[in-house]
Amino acid sequence: MSLKNVLENWSDYRKGHEQGGHHDYEHMWVMAVDLDKCTGCNACSVACYAENNLAVVGKERMMKGQGMHWLRVERYWDEPQIGGDDGQFQSAGGSFLPMMCQHCNAATCEPVCPVAATYHTPDGLNAQVYNRCIGSRYCSNNCPYRLRYFNFFSYYEESWPEPLNQQLNPDLSVRDKGVMEKCTFCVQRIRTAKDTARREGRAVQDGDAVTACAQTCPTQAIVFGDMLDKESRVSKIWAKQQVELGKTKQVKANPELRGYRILEGLNTDPCIMYLDRVREV
Amino acid sequence: MLNIRIVSKLFDSGMRVVSRRRGLMALLMACCLGLGSGVAQAEVPNAVAPKGTHSGEHVPQPIDFPHDIHADINGINCMYCHTYARRSKVAGIPPTSKCMGCHSVIATDKPRIQQLTEYWEKNEPPRWKKVHDVPDFVHFTHEKHLQRFVFENEGMNVENVDQVCAFCHGDVKKMTVAEKTKPLTMGFCVRCHEANEGPSDCWHCHK
Repeated sequence: MSLKNVLENWSDYRKGHEQGGHHDYEHMWVMAVDLDKCTGCNACSVACYAENNLAVVGKERMMKGQGMHWLRVERYWDEPQIGGDDGQFQSAGGSFLPMMCQHCNAATCEPVCPVAATYHTPDGLNAQVYNRCIGSRYCSNNCPYRLRYFNFFSYYEESWPEPLNQQLNPDLSVRDKGVMEKCTFCVQRIRTAKDTARREGRAVQDGDAVTACAQTCPTQAIVFGDMLDKESRVSKIWAKQQVELGKTKQVKANPELRGYRILEGLNTDPCIMYLDRVREV
Repeated sequence: MLNIRIVSKLFDSGMRVVSRRRGLMALLMACCLGLGSGVAQAEVPNAVAPKGTHSGEHVPQPIDFPHDIHADINGINCMYCHTYARRSKVAGIPPTSKCMGCHSVIATDKPRIQQLTEYWEKNEPPRWKKVHDVPDFVHFTHEKHLQRFVFENEGMNVENVDQVCAFCHGDVKKMTVAEKTKPLTMGFCVRCHEANEGPSDCWHCHK
């Protein structure tokens, strides 16, 4: 979606996706995360740090909520009625939830940006243009998932002292103080996949673009792909779980199916489907 | 007056990149015939050249490489040395071995060639300085631009690729060491993208 489109269709923008939206998508990158497979090992988070030049802010700033982890693994203790009565210990049973930007098709962060630094790309990605960002932090405050991270300081020297700066990924910039950032679905990898496909004169195939977290996950809990490609692994998983994009409430023929999207009732139309953990009661 | 373009055309009209042998032969013939410049500037079809000029600082290089002798007088295709331009993000600086491919026999008495030979014998690359440097937050690929303006451009003769290069690099054929003569600012890029109907999506170029 171009900026012009956002401005012209502002009023029905928030509801537009239910009628197919104003987008003329080339791709629709989506993800499926199987929480039953997730062991909470944090490998995805580490991979994200390495791939996306994320600053390591240190314990104190992390405690203040200034961490820059685009992908955080949230930990939840089980509810007492299913055996988690002692919530203090892992033995009580916990579950993990990898949280990254949900790339909402009706993103709440996009309309509030005063300078249109965040917008929707023709790939269905929720983009953040660092150069345009003035650091108003409206987007972060309007995100129901709290998945946007603000650079309160310039972390460059502290996070990558010589010679660590040599390991920075050249395919994306190092963000400086005063800029909002968030998960990009590894847009640099998507871009490379598209360029390669174009050079070879073919369409982008399933598996050409893989995010760092999906690539790293030891249990393959994270699956990434193009929703418009009906044969892709991820769109088959979505179809199997009877979860569809563009709905505020999923109507499932089989209520036993595990697929759900977080806070979809808020009409954000997130692009990540989670598969609930199966537990013995 | 016969010039090098016609000479090379005699060998291969659809020449994409001058092969070393052909380049050498063309060079030798050019030397024999004592050819000069004065090639008429052909227009690039289906393209609007970007406007804007800039006078950049002179960047001193380890060797004063004369682009004019190579590209203009001898008519060597830009992509003969900058090989990666058509298949990669960066155009690439040729390895010294490529220079030596010709200069082990050509113009060996010239001081600049002797300087080059010194580097070659020391097994050391000349540390060329970057002249056209876009900021780190810009994603630019030479490949896509060459595909658009040269290889997928109907009616475009690949021998005139220098005119496409000149869109952003200026008339390098008339320079010795390359100098920045185009602003390479966002406005410069965007105006050209608008004129040539290139993508206007922020994430196409910003990273």
